[in-house]
Amino acid sequence: MKLTIALLVAAASLASGQTPISGAKFPGADNRARHVIGLDEKMKRNAMGSLTVHDGKLEFKSGNPGQEVISEVPISSVEDVFIGTESTQTRGKSARVAKTAAYAAPYGTGRSVSLLLRNKVDILTVSYHDSDGALHGAIFALPLGDAETVRTQLVQAGVHASPIEQ
Amino acid sequence: MLNRRSFVLLSSFLMISASAFVTAQGASKPKLSASAIQVALLDVGDVRVPPEFRYAIYEQIVDHVKASGAFAKVYRAGDKAAAGVPDLVTLHTKMEGFKEGSQTVREVTTVFGATTVDITASVTDKAGKELLSKKLTGRVRFFGENLGVTNDIAKKVTKLVSAAYHPGA
Repeated sequence: MKLTIALLVAAASLASGQTPISGAKFPGADNRARHVIGLDEKMKRNAMGSLTVHDGKLEFKSGNPGQEVISEVPISSVEDVFIGTESTQTRGKSARVAKTAAYAAPYGTGRSVSLLLRNKVDILTVSYHDSDGALHGAIFALPLGDAETVRTQLVQAGVHASPIEQ
Repeated sequence: MLNRRSFVLLSSFLMISASAFVTAQGASKPKLSASAIQVALLDVGDVRVPPEFRYAIYEQIVDHVKASGAFAKVYRAGDKAAAGVPDLVTLHTKMEGFKEGSQTVREVTTVFGATTVDITASVTDKAGKELLSKKLTGRVRFFGENLGVTNDIAKKVTKLVSAAYHPGA
């Protein structure tokens, strides 16, 4: 009964929101990714953008058209590529409303609501050396299934990639 | 029973001794000094750890040590420019243990399910002599992704190094 109340509260909150739980993380066009950490200093942590492989480089572009920040990693400088997954919290207004409802839910029933706000993402890690020889571990979060596509593109471009662990 | 003069002499002697002792204690552990530090990639040894954790710990340490201001310059592993720094020290981190927790368990129980990372952090000079070493544990227990543990351990490593060093003097 208590769990039902909590779920109903969350569902009502989400119904007024703009994005569904599962799609809230990477709205928009293809190639969407979040730069977690590791690119050059001009690229902010957790910047949302597009991640593409073309013309012998891995490119991450973030920002509004005309004010984009672009980080490029030459394929020749990439040392290795790894894929993993991570469970992360859904972000956005709907998620904040639902989380507030979860905290207010009686008898600890809110915890089960929080579980609904988690989704899995791919983690793509690219280790490379910059022009000074300095090692970077650029980490990106992508929609589930997309990291393997980028990895395949990098391998086809000539990058060595560690085997995917099952 | 001490007379007044003896009492004054004894008190003065004790005060002088005490101040000398405090000075000696303070002088026995001088802070280490270096103008630059190079951060080595985490050595995982035989511990099975997801690659993103390894690189996230490395990147977080680089960021935190830079932000601490303890060194005039922070070099990444492999940076050729570091070779020309005479008083360069190197920060090494070695994985001793890793337990990947469950975010689901954390959120349901709020007590169990922590991801923990045990590492040994050490600093060596250019000759390879170890200047400092300490075991540290990083944890993420509350609502947050598993990668959050890398930020926790990086902060602890930075605190250790910053406490031992000050900008090159």
